[in-house]
Amino acid sequence: MTEDATTNPGTQASANTERTVIGVYHLTREYGDRQALEDVSFTIANGEFVFMVGPSGAGKSTLLRMIYMDEYPTSGQVVVGPFVSTRMKRRDIPFLRRRVGIVFQDYKLLDDRTVFDNVAICMRITGASPFSIKRRVATLLNDVGLHHKQRQMPKALSGGEQQRVAIARALVNHPSILLADEPTGNLDPDSAEDILRLLFRINSAGTAVLMATHDHSFVKTFGQRILHLRDGKVLEDHRTGLVGNMGDRLEALRLQRDRERRVDKEIKRQRGDELSTRKSE
Amino acid sequence: MMRRIFYIIDEALLTVKRHKGLTSISIVIMSLSLLMLAVFLLATDNVLKLVSEAQNEMKMYVYLDDGVSQDEAQSLYQKILQESEVSEVQFVSKDEAMEEFREQLGDDSDLVGTLRANPLPNSFLVTPKEEFKTRDAMVALAGRIEPLRGVEEVRYGREFLDKFASVLKALYFVNGVVGFIVILSALFIISNAVRLTVISRRKTIEILKLVGATNSYIVAPFIIEGAFQAGVAAVLSLALLWGVTVASRNVLPDLNFFSAQKSAVYLLTCVVIGSIGSFLALRRMLKMT
Repeated sequence: MTEDATTNPGTQASANTERTVIGVYHLTREYGDRQALEDVSFTIANGEFVFMVGPSGAGKSTLLRMIYMDEYPTSGQVVVGPFVSTRMKRRDIPFLRRRVGIVFQDYKLLDDRTVFDNVAICMRITGASPFSIKRRVATLLNDVGLHHKQRQMPKALSGGEQQRVAIARALVNHPSILLADEPTGNLDPDSAEDILRLLFRINSAGTAVLMATHDHSFVKTFGQRILHLRDGKVLEDHRTGLVGNMGDRLEALRLQRDRERRVDKEIKRQRGDELSTRKSE
Repeated sequence: MMRRIFYIIDEALLTVKRHKGLTSISIVIMSLSLLMLAVFLLATDNVLKLVSEAQNEMKMYVYLDDGVSQDEAQSLYQKILQESEVSEVQFVSKDEAMEEFREQLGDDSDLVGTLRANPLPNSFLVTPKEEFKTRDAMVALAGRIEPLRGVEEVRYGREFLDKFASVLKALYFVNGVVGFIVILSALFIISNAVRLTVISRRKTIEILKLVGATNSYIVAPFIIEGAFQAGVAAVLSLALLWGVTVASRNVLPDLNFFSAQKSAVYLLTCVVIGSIGSFLALRRMLKMT
């Protein structure tokens, strides 16, 4: 962090809007006597992927809430694109949230409407045309592999599928950053990995991702920038060495593809068996 | 704009469809509290009708001196008729008055038979115009007729009117206070009934806020829904009240139901109360999340 940025974060942020998606400057949040966050500063650049790790209670969720301005810092400042927490009007908050996609551990889907409508509602509230909504939602559901389930209710879907719906919803208004609060927390390891891979794919398409998790194993497998939070403070903010980890990453991905291929083959074989038995009957 | 309206109506309909149980419960609660309001309004309506009937009875009796000739009576008749407040003047002769009196007495009419002469004077029965059927107008009119030559006395039940005016004033006051309380409690109950629906959809509201819905997008469907529920509840309460009115015809034959116009105003009022009620319920909710 440069001296400029710390003394005058507002101007620094507006000068760098091209590159900085999120700027957090000397952020402190107190609840009564308890300090949930203490002098936290970092910036996230366009297209970056950042893991935020730390034990529960370290302040990860609180920090995310301040970024989508569900809460305000006791002191310090959060800058998201053109939105500055200290100069924010209440009625501008919805417009901030449309530029930030949010994904939660418990998916937060609307149980009384279909998968399609869950994603579509985010566009309807912006006044988008029915045609563009249809096209965009179809594209996104296709991207997350749920096009065939768009008429189903969320409760009929598996946890991993529900989370993919939530991700599609978060992306529908073309956010510059995706915030994910323990998105894999409720999922089995396989689904969790699926979600993570989806997030990587989204990131490689240009959307910055900030993912909070207490699961270090991901971070070890897919070395990225890591923001380590403990007791409301940034313990470490570092990028894992790309060379060493790139190998691991590729190795992991290769292993995964191997397994996928084997599983695919097995499925096809079983299908073939079924068909042939049916024919013989 | 159209999209916004479609969105709001869609959302309201969706909630009603998906939450049939809760919607019906809250409609039942609302219709009961609105029934209370309707009973009050119907009572008021009937009392007001009685009052206006009583006011229509406001007539003035002008008694003439015994010595007044036919011509003089004729000119008095013209003079009274020319007064701006007067709509109708009817001559009642001594004999007609006695005849009427006899009929009123009925079985006791032989009492009058002992009379040697008819003590009742000739008189005019004066009916004032509709807009002058007030105490003040009657006093003024009587003040002008009384000094005319040939007039013995003017009667219009002044004390009765005085008493009636103060009773009316009290009645209006009590009615106003009770009405205020009834409307307020209806508003309160409806607001709470809507709150049931709102609380059950706290999650929906929270999610809509998180995905960047402005408050008006969140609130509007609820207001439409509240208005819809209150409208249905109002129809139900009217139907109930109508049933009760018909059933009590034996005991209260003069009990009238609302006119079509008044029913429409009532329905509209209920819809407005429903919208306000849901707005109040939501305002609390939006502040909470």
